[in-house]
Amino acid sequence: MLRTTLAGLLAHKLRLLLTSLAITLGVGFIAGTFVLTDTLQAGFTQRIAASADKVDVAVRPAESGGEKAPRLSTADLTRIRGVAGVAEAQGLVRGDAALVGKDGKAVGSAPTTGFSVVTGRLDRTTIASGTAPTAAGQVVIDTNTAKTRGFTTGDTVTVLDSRHRPHAFQVTGLVDVGVDQMLAYTGAVGFTTATAQAMTGETGFHEIDIAASDGVTPENLRAAITSALGGTGATVWTGQQLAQQLARSNGADTEILTLGLLMFGLVAMLVAALVIYNTFNILVAQRTREMALLRCIGATRRQVFGSILLESAVVGLISSALGLLTGLGLGAGALAVLKATGQNLPSAGVALAPRTIAIALAVGLVVTVGAALLPARTATRVAPIAALRTQTDEQTFTTGMLRIAFAALFLLTGGGLTVAAVVADPGPVALYVAMGGGTLTFCAVLVLGPVIVRPLSAFAGWAPAKLFGVPGRLAMDNSRRNPKRSATTTVALTIGVTLMTLISVITATMRATYTVKLDEQFPVDYMVSAQAGESENSSVPRDLAGALRARPELTSVVEIRQARAGRGGGTGGGSGGGSGGGKLTVGTFSGPYKPALRGGSMTGFTAGSALVSDSVAKDLGVAPGGTITLTTPKAGTVEVRVLGTFDGETEALPGVTVPDGAFDTYFGAVGDDRILVNAKDGVAADVSRKAVEAAAMPYPTAQVVSSTEVRREFDETLDMTLMIIVGLLGLAVLISLLGIANTLSLSVHERSRESALLRALGLTRGQLRRMLSAEALILGLIGAIVGVALGLVFGWVAAQTLMADILFRVPLAQVAGLVALSGLAGVLAAVFPARRAARASIVASLASD
Amino acid sequence: MTVTGAETGRRTMPAVAAKGVTKIYGHGDAAVHALRGVDVGFDTGAFTAIMGPSGSGKSTLMHCLAGLDTVTEGEVRIGDVDITRLGDKRLTLLRRDRVGFIFQAFNLLPTLTAEQNIRLPVDIAGRQVDQELFDTVIGTVGLADRLGHRPSELSGGQQQRVAVARALISKPQVIFADEPTGNLDSRSGAEVLSFLRTSVRDLHQTIVMVTHDPVAASYADRVVFLRDGALVTELAAPTPQTVLDTLLKLEA
Repeated sequence: MLRTTLAGLLAHKLRLLLTSLAITLGVGFIAGTFVLTDTLQAGFTQRIAASADKVDVAVRPAESGGEKAPRLSTADLTRIRGVAGVAEAQGLVRGDAALVGKDGKAVGSAPTTGFSVVTGRLDRTTIASGTAPTAAGQVVIDTNTAKTRGFTTGDTVTVLDSRHRPHAFQVTGLVDVGVDQMLAYTGAVGFTTATAQAMTGETGFHEIDIAASDGVTPENLRAAITSALGGTGATVWTGQQLAQQLARSNGADTEILTLGLLMFGLVAMLVAALVIYNTFNILVAQRTREMALLRCIGATRRQVFGSILLESAVVGLISSALGLLTGLGLGAGALAVLKATGQNLPSAGVALAPRTIAIALAVGLVVTVGAALLPARTATRVAPIAALRTQTDEQTFTTGMLRIAFAALFLLTGGGLTVAAVVADPGPVALYVAMGGGTLTFCAVLVLGPVIVRPLSAFAGWAPAKLFGVPGRLAMDNSRRNPKRSATTTVALTIGVTLMTLISVITATMRATYTVKLDEQFPVDYMVSAQAGESENSSVPRDLAGALRARPELTSVVEIRQARAGRGGGTGGGSGGGSGGGKLTVGTFSGPYKPALRGGSMTGFTAGSALVSDSVAKDLGVAPGGTITLTTPKAGTVEVRVLGTFDGETEALPGVTVPDGAFDTYFGAVGDDRILVNAKDGVAADVSRKAVEAAAMPYPTAQVVSSTEVRREFDETLDMTLMIIVGLLGLAVLISLLGIANTLSLSVHERSRESALLRALGLTRGQLRRMLSAEALILGLIGAIVGVALGLVFGWVAAQTLMADILFRVPLAQVAGLVALSGLAGVLAAVFPARRAARASIVASLASD
Repeated sequence: MTVTGAETGRRTMPAVAAKGVTKIYGHGDAAVHALRGVDVGFDTGAFTAIMGPSGSGKSTLMHCLAGLDTVTEGEVRIGDVDITRLGDKRLTLLRRDRVGFIFQAFNLLPTLTAEQNIRLPVDIAGRQVDQELFDTVIGTVGLADRLGHRPSELSGGQQQRVAVARALISKPQVIFADEPTGNLDSRSGAEVLSFLRTSVRDLHQTIVMVTHDPVAASYADRVVFLRDGALVTELAAPTPQTVLDTLLKLEA
């Protein structure tokens, strides 16, 4: 039996190849994901280990839970230096130090991070070129910032200190920030420790690195330091523990990447499973006589079953192995692409973990054999007498009660969940419910596939039948003659098309909705705000607003200030008093601004009163007429009366808004968080923009954004996301196209006598080719139509669950393009089967079974 | 040896004629000479049967005559066209317009109804069906009430009658029938054969039929006998007995 199976496999290498390709691609993607993320992780770990190796013991401050990053004090450093066995201890300083670019503005949306460069034994900085700073006037910049901002060693640069005062420094070298995500994100400027403290205004340290004296083990030293620091709650690690800790937090990032990519791999494997299932089903149908012959000469049902499973196992194993190789290639390719796009990646050899091999082989094998189970069972039902029949029976399909029952069950529960998700408040829960509803509905479509494929083929085949005449009509008939087979073939494509439609609908809807919200939230032409820094004073001086008001091109300048206040809870007016504790953002506005209130009124908006956003009102349990207790730095505990509420999503105001005079009393002369500016009517955009920029020029950290820029940025982000997701889903679509090609070539093989008859009756080769292309076109269109319908419905549902008040949009061009592409891809998939059919000899085909 | 319908005394141009047709499968030692220089003509409006023992090359001869297979050497004419010189496209069009087929089995497309199957060659050619002829043919083969059925809903005899109707409907210059009764019981077989006979008599249809059944051959005007790829003898106005005797002589 084994030999028969293997001989059969060898005799049909091409069939084997097409079948394997589906699995190979799916497994390749999964293996590639692991190879990529493993390699990244290995590289990071290697670097972390190299860096942490220089440290024997590291101390990190206790988690404070406060808003400001916790720090170790100078006293802690002194105490550590006093511990026996400490050869050297260095405090690491880190804080905002905004590097000013060549345009005179601070670079980036967040200030660059200033850090201390330690020299000597505990030097963990990787200088890429030049030298480390040794004097007060020297600085090193990270390589990426230097490249993007056009700085190089020897340049003189300006860095702002914590009070935004400019200081000139000479660049002595470039530094590679390695795996430090924080430094890589903001960009980094490195100083000597003393300068770093002066520039950042930080007196404490975010870490203290310690080198042990000769003969002292890190473990012993760690114990000694832990007891010396007793009570501060600081974490003391050995160098090794530090490395593990860093690797772990880094690993969390790569894990998210792995999971995200694996989701797409899973979709691809699901599609591959459908393709395999269909292929084996057709193979079994075609080999009915072969199976019957085997049964005639004494093979048991079990042996027939085993032979099919064995065949699938061989196919699964070979294609998984090929998939593994593909994965290695994909992983290496992705790394190369990432590096080429300038990502800061450690260069380590491509990592092929035993786990990757095991998972790839297991997934491929399980999916293939699993998909072949049902077809194998069908094979056991072949009666020995079938060997004697000359003509294979036409597959007749009748809709069974069981099918209807299952479809109804799936449809009802799926529909119910979907409705529940739409009705529910938008949020993650609603989204998950909608996902469940979508999956169940898809199952219903899967079960109903053979039933709906007939009317759909009439629909999708209408145009081809008109266009191609007899071949087109024959193609339509062929596409529906075996509804089960057509349904499985098209469902594979439907999966990809559904997800693509879903994503494009959600993207279009989000784009439309956000554009409108943006207009509401950003009812102005320009917004000037400070770089979002770590320090509290990430604001722009009030003088800037004055300068803007002085500009004749500009009008209606509104300053918005905010600060954090302690929260004393709210009482009255609402549904009971809220609890105290925590912090609230309290702010004010000054200038011509009229908030649209949802409840209450602006009358009497004087000291002692406040407007709150509806979300804050809900949190605190207050309504107009109630009071909120705030703990303020300058005025202590104050009670304010709630006058009115506003929509926090559309109003540009802080959650608790008080009159500007009162704000100064509570918090002192805080700078402006943001300034809203409009161009005067009739002033050209470039003129008004220049006016705003000129006014902001003396303030390096003040950033000017226009509403068009914000919208463009948002559009670009959306486009990018859409492109990546569609690209990743493309794999599933590719596999389903293999499925169409496979089904078609097997059907062509099965119908070779029929094709020969048609040719004998006068169908030209071209007409035969056109007939098969039209059949594939119809299959592709059916898959696309179902996919688009499902995608539109669930796109709408998903958008409903993502946020309230959406503006539903269907990207017609994209959807039409998707349908057209599916049809075209179907035609492409038919090229080879059609050519083979057209070339076949009539006489030989008439003679064969 | 040239065998034509000369015995009638009238020398008309034959509907189909083969001249020195040789067919060799394979090369060198493995070469099989299926046909060894066959010269034969088939008169217009005549019903001719080709007979011979298994492996005598009778099916190959029919395939070559019908333009389904290529010849190694020689010339095949359908009407005034030498089909051995035609490319695939022209050959296909010629088959479509001038040749009808009835095979032993698997004659019909399972997805089409009986009527669609009958109209198929005319539809493929993009021509209009001669409705009067259609009605006559349907009446003759007695399928009027089965036209909407698919092949799977028809008996073997009915399926073959559909095939006969299909062959007749495009008024071909010649119909080739390959063992048309091979899969039928004797009663259905006799029906199909008498339809063929009738179409020759009433419609002046030319029919060339390959068969190994002496009874089927006796419906023909003339029987030609093949052995080892060569034409050996022929019989005019055959009866089952004379056909059987000739076959037995050939086998001996």
